[in-house]
Amino acid sequence: MSFEWPWQYNFPPFFTLQPNVDTRQKQLAAWCSLALSYCRHHKLYTLDVMEAQESPMFNNKKIERKLSMEAIQVVFEELRKKGNLEWLDKNKSRCLVMWRRPEEWGKLIYQWVSKNGMVNSVFTLYELSNGDDTEGEEFHGLEEWMLLRSLQALQTDGKAEVITMDDGKGVKFF
Amino acid sequence: MGNLFGRKSPPSRVTEQDKAILQLKQQRDKLKQYQKRITLQLEKERLLAKQLLKDGKKEKALLLLKKKRYQDQLLDKTEHQISNLECMVQDIEFMQIEMKVIEGLKVGNDCLKSMHQIMSIENVERILDETQESIEYQRQIDEMLAGALTQEDEDAVLAELEAITQGEDVVLPEVPTEPLPEVPEAAKAEPERKEAKKAEREMLAV
Repeated sequence: MSFEWPWQYNFPPFFTLQPNVDTRQKQLAAWCSLALSYCRHHKLYTLDVMEAQESPMFNNKKIERKLSMEAIQVVFEELRKKGNLEWLDKNKSRCLVMWRRPEEWGKLIYQWVSKNGMVNSVFTLYELSNGDDTEGEEFHGLEEWMLLRSLQALQTDGKAEVITMDDGKGVKFF
Repeated sequence: MGNLFGRKSPPSRVTEQDKAILQLKQQRDKLKQYQKRITLQLEKERLLAKQLLKDGKKEKALLLLKKKRYQDQLLDKTEHQISNLECMVQDIEFMQIEMKVIEGLKVGNDCLKSMHQIMSIENVERILDETQESIEYQRQIDEMLAGALTQEDEDAVLAELEAITQGEDVVLPEVPTEPLPEVPEAAKAEPERKEAKKAEREMLAV
C-alpha cells in the first residue's frame, strides 16, 4: 500500500513558509500531520534532518519543490511542542519521532502479552521487537528506545517492570 | 520517570528466577542472531559457489561447499542449543508455577489448621453440653411460667381431653333416646351413661 499524500503536497506554495500568521498556522499543521503519517507509514522512528530533506517527505520531485532547512526546523519544532518529537543532539540534526505515544505503544504491547497469556513472564527487548512471536504485530520492529519508553510507561502503571542486566535489558509483565 | 519528587518506588517484583530466565533468553536471542547471520552467509556462499562453477573454477567451488557444509553443521548445533535453552526456560517457568501452587496449598492448609484450633473436640463437647444445659434451664423456666403443673395435673388434663373427645363422638350422631325394651342390660347401662354425660357437662361449665 503506497502512501497517500495530502492534496497540499502537489501545491507548490505549500513548500514555502507563508508570511500570513493564520495561513502559516494551517500550513504548519498540515506539515506536521504529513510528517507524522509519513513516518507512521514507513515505520520511521529516528530521522536525520539532512536525510529527511532529501526524502520524499519534504522533497516533491514531481513538482520540483522541497522544503527549506529552516522550514523543516520550524515544522520539527512545532512537532516537538506537541510532544511528537525529541531532538537527539544540540545541533538539532537528528531526532526521535513519536507518531504514537509511548503509552499507546505500551497498551498495544500489553494487550498482546495478555492475549497470549504471557502475563507474569519475562521477555528480552529483542524478543519483543524482533522475535518470531511478535511477527505481524504492530510493534514488531519497534526501535529499542521507543520500546523502552513504552515499557517504562507500563511500569508507571505497575503493569511491567524493566530489568537491567549487565548485557541488555528485559522486562517482566504483571 | 515517576521519581521526580522522591517518591519511593515499590519493592521490585522481579525475582532471582526471573533474572535467570532473562539471562537464558538473552543467550537464546544471541544464538538466534548468530543463526540469522549464518543463514544469510550460507545463502551468499551458495550463490558464490554457483558463480564459481559457471566460471569453471571447480576446485574453489568445492572448497566453498566444504565450508558451507561446516557452517550447516554449526547451524544445526545452534538450533539444538536454542531448543536446550528454551527447554530450560520452560522448566524454570513451570517450576515457578508449581511453587505458587504449593504456596496456595500451604495457605489453605494453615487456614484449615487455625480453624481447627478454634473448633477443638473439647470445645465442641463443652458447647454442646452448655446448649443442653441451656435447653434444660429454658424448660424449667417455661414450666415455672406456665404455672407449674404436676404430673397428676397433667394426667387429669389428659383425661379431660379424652372425655371431651368421647363426648363429642356421642353427641354428633342423632342417637335414638328411647330405650330398647328387648335388651335389659342396655336399659341398665343407659342411666349410667347419662350420669357420666352430666358430670362432663358440669366440668366443662367450670
